[in-house]
Amino acid sequence: MNSYIKEYFDYKTLVSGLALVCIGLASIYSATLDVNSAANFYRQGLWSMFGLIALIVAALFPIKTLQRFSLPMYIVAIALLGTILVLGHTVNSSKSWFGFGGMGMQPSEIAKVTTVLALASYLSRPTISISNVKHLIVSIGIFILPMLLILKQPDLGTAIVFFATLVPILYWAGASYFVLAAILVPILVAAGALVGITQFLIAAAIGAGLLYVTSKNKFAAAVVFGITLALGLSVQIAFDHLEPYQQRRIVTFLNPNSDPTGAGYNVLQSKTAIGSGGFWGKGYLHGSQTQLKYIPEQWTDFIFCVTGEEFGFVGGAIVLSLFAFLLLHGLHIAGISKNKFGSLAAVGLIAILATHLIINMGMDMGLMPVIGIPLPFLSYGGSALISNMAMLGLLMNFFAHRKEY
Amino acid sequence: MMTEEFGTPQRYSILRFVIIAIIGVLFIRLYMLQLFSYEEYAGESEKNSVRMITAEPVRGYIFDRNGKLVVDDGPSFTITVTQAEFYNYNVGELATLLDLDDQTLQDRINRGVINARSRFTPVKVKRDIDFWTLSSIEERMFELPGVSYDVESKRIYVGPARASHLLGYCKEIGEAQLAKFGERYKLGDLIGSSGIESSYEQLLRGEKGKQFISVNAKGQVIGSYDGGKEDLPPREGFDLILSADFGLQAYAESLMTQYKGALVAIDPEDGGVLAVVSTPDYDPSVFSGVTSTDEWNKLNDNPDKPLFNRATMTLYPPGSTFKMVLAAAALQDGIIDKNWHITCPGGFRFGNRFFKCTHVHGSVNVVDAIEKSCNTFFYQLILKVGLDRWGEYSKKFGFGKKTQIDIDEEVAGLIPSTAYYDRVYGSGHWTQGLVVNLGVGQGELGVSPMQMALYAAAIANNGVLQQPRIVHYIRNKATRRIEEIAHNSTDLGISPKVMALIREGMRRCVESPGGTGSLSRIPGIVVGGKTGTAENPHGEDHAWFVGFAPFDHPKIAVACIVENAGFGGTKAAPICGQVMERYLFGGQHLTPEPPAVTASRLQGETAGLAQVGGNN
Repeated sequence: MNSYIKEYFDYKTLVSGLALVCIGLASIYSATLDVNSAANFYRQGLWSMFGLIALIVAALFPIKTLQRFSLPMYIVAIALLGTILVLGHTVNSSKSWFGFGGMGMQPSEIAKVTTVLALASYLSRPTISISNVKHLIVSIGIFILPMLLILKQPDLGTAIVFFATLVPILYWAGASYFVLAAILVPILVAAGALVGITQFLIAAAIGAGLLYVTSKNKFAAAVVFGITLALGLSVQIAFDHLEPYQQRRIVTFLNPNSDPTGAGYNVLQSKTAIGSGGFWGKGYLHGSQTQLKYIPEQWTDFIFCVTGEEFGFVGGAIVLSLFAFLLLHGLHIAGISKNKFGSLAAVGLIAILATHLIINMGMDMGLMPVIGIPLPFLSYGGSALISNMAMLGLLMNFFAHRKEY
Repeated sequence: MMTEEFGTPQRYSILRFVIIAIIGVLFIRLYMLQLFSYEEYAGESEKNSVRMITAEPVRGYIFDRNGKLVVDDGPSFTITVTQAEFYNYNVGELATLLDLDDQTLQDRINRGVINARSRFTPVKVKRDIDFWTLSSIEERMFELPGVSYDVESKRIYVGPARASHLLGYCKEIGEAQLAKFGERYKLGDLIGSSGIESSYEQLLRGEKGKQFISVNAKGQVIGSYDGGKEDLPPREGFDLILSADFGLQAYAESLMTQYKGALVAIDPEDGGVLAVVSTPDYDPSVFSGVTSTDEWNKLNDNPDKPLFNRATMTLYPPGSTFKMVLAAAALQDGIIDKNWHITCPGGFRFGNRFFKCTHVHGSVNVVDAIEKSCNTFFYQLILKVGLDRWGEYSKKFGFGKKTQIDIDEEVAGLIPSTAYYDRVYGSGHWTQGLVVNLGVGQGELGVSPMQMALYAAAIANNGVLQQPRIVHYIRNKATRRIEEIAHNSTDLGISPKVMALIREGMRRCVESPGGTGSLSRIPGIVVGGKTGTAENPHGEDHAWFVGFAPFDHPKIAVACIVENAGFGGTKAAPICGQVMERYLFGGQHLTPEPPAVTASRLQGETAGLAQVGGNN
């Protein structure tokens, strides 16, 4: 019996994931105690119950059926994203919500998971090969479609997560380094073009080098580089034609320190909160930065400051270790799984989590520009929590079925 | 078919490396912030302890019509507790210092935290503490972290008048009001609760300001933040300039102090309320600062109801003072002319009832009937005029509806009609006998002294009914302008000739040798007036007087009721006369004691009245 559990029950994913949810709940309680008498805490607690149901369903769902249903679920998610552009609520100047009588739902959270499943399902078909250009384009298309719809909301952070998820899946599926370079380089150069001419030139030089090294067909490399340069230049021209306020928004996005009262202020206060936590932290409910509300809506994207300030380096290290354990264990599942669908999907799911982790924590600690995406399991928000817990369930499912082809 | 490159160990190691790198970078950053740069950020965080405190506005001052300051503000010290910095084991010590019991103090802190939704907002726990308590707390402030004090303003009643019902009072805001006003008030704030303090609350209170102070890690105040550059000073409350004359008010209060009753004096030209007295009254300074439960209960449970504004909220039958309404209706609608007369045999037989008059008046026309207060004339006249026409004119003169005065405490009163009697007694179950009594202002009639004063003022200024106002101007602190309070006046559409006849009756009622209102005479000035007696089934009758002066260009109209004083001419008329005289001569020229002979003559008349049922 014991060995049976060991064989099929992935308690490592479950325990590390739930531990993060609990730390998140404690931090939300502290951040919202004075704001709405911790009403957000109770709501998040309720959502974690729904999340637990989602986790169990995802863990026990027959994997073959899941693989077959991936495409219909993907289509439903795309339809939801399309609908929201027309009907959705606007929260923080971005249309990303469905409202159902007081409860909100973010289809982009569902879309992340279903897109990963759809691509994994597509690539695991016996007839599909990543080295086939047509199949490669379809694979990229599966990701580009929801990404464009999300960019239209506009929710840049989530769109970046999509992009950052696509690359590892293609890589794990066996795409050549040239293909990966051909996807990454244009983006890199376009981003450099937005910052300035020097950055544009440096990015173009690095890009040219990468394409040259990875390519077997030098002609293809030249074509990709040509497209890259054209993209970079058109981005620059487009930028010059934007309204000043739109330009400013992009500049602030790329360099938050240029606006110390807006996004830059949040980062400064966030760094101060974490930094002043020290080794042991200021004690639960005793973080002055948190309790005096220096950071607006801290319970969403800046939740890690609460943990960092009140539990100190000890608390922060525990959170990071749990994430490290979860991600490495997830990758381990992908590595040992003989089920190609499960293996690819596992990589996609940990890519989602890892991207959220680096962007969110990097922002809280002043390493990254301010891009509003939540910290998985910890940030306040029902859709994200439920979908993240469903991802835990899927990883457990892939673990259990790791030996089935 | 699997691609060769899918999931190779090499790719596995690279992905593993990427994950470890991400976590590693975050780890190093966390280490840098929390251990390497800890000192810097901890210092930053400590400096950061800026707290916003509320700066209380000064409540608006109140001036009387002569520009005399009558309600001032003085400093009042309120002890506050900031729960986040307060140690609960100090509750006992603080409670002892404040002379509260522990549970009360703890409850106040808890309620304040819930109300403010923050443990960092100071909660007011005791207001208006004396200087001795303040100094003993200040000495121990370092042993009592989280305890501080606010300087607030409290009302100081300068006088000379109490004017308790006119000014009203402020009280600590209650739970219901907190729920109603939401964000604008906090637990422990004062709010106007009656009189003009209540009706002008939003203007008087001003707006709270914000003050940013720096506190150290222990929450102790270091000083103002950023040199006070971010502070938002409170906006002072607007001042009120009353139409009331506090010299007159004080004088009227002194005349009324030994009686229960009410007196209202109005400027007939603009509806300005010159004085409002309701006795017994209370000392408004009871409500300045903090009001103990004992004091409040003493006022609230007093059977004489000192908190109750008799001038606007009590309804009495008007008695004979109401006869002018009927006369105006009959003359204006051409039912009678000035020569129409009756012969008064000392009463009026209607059906099998005999309605008594005060005397045998002989032949009387309408002016004689007002002068002599002949009941027989008006018993017959109301039957000619009819109940509903009489009611319509009563409404015209402002009875049976609210006067729209600028305080909230007011009742509409009652003027019966055919529909009313049908409803109360049933159609066909009441007789015109009820109506006959209304002709002399008795029966189911309810009027307030305020309505009576406005009625007297309307007669005085030729049929223009004023909307009364206590506050005449506002000193707007935002625009720095003096703004007049709007008010309405209504022309009743009664011809000047009719009004002149009525006033003539009232002049003779005071000035002619046999007049019932002769005790309201003022030397050197002609007065118009009318006495009345309100029948009181529960005891001695109430005495009424309404009047105005000077007769030709009235500057003041007065109505006065003295409860349980019997006939109107003896008690109410002299008070009104003295009030009018004081207003017109500014206290320089007061009436000597009324001549003994007049008093005894009037007493004789009163004695006679008692026999005929008091319908003077």
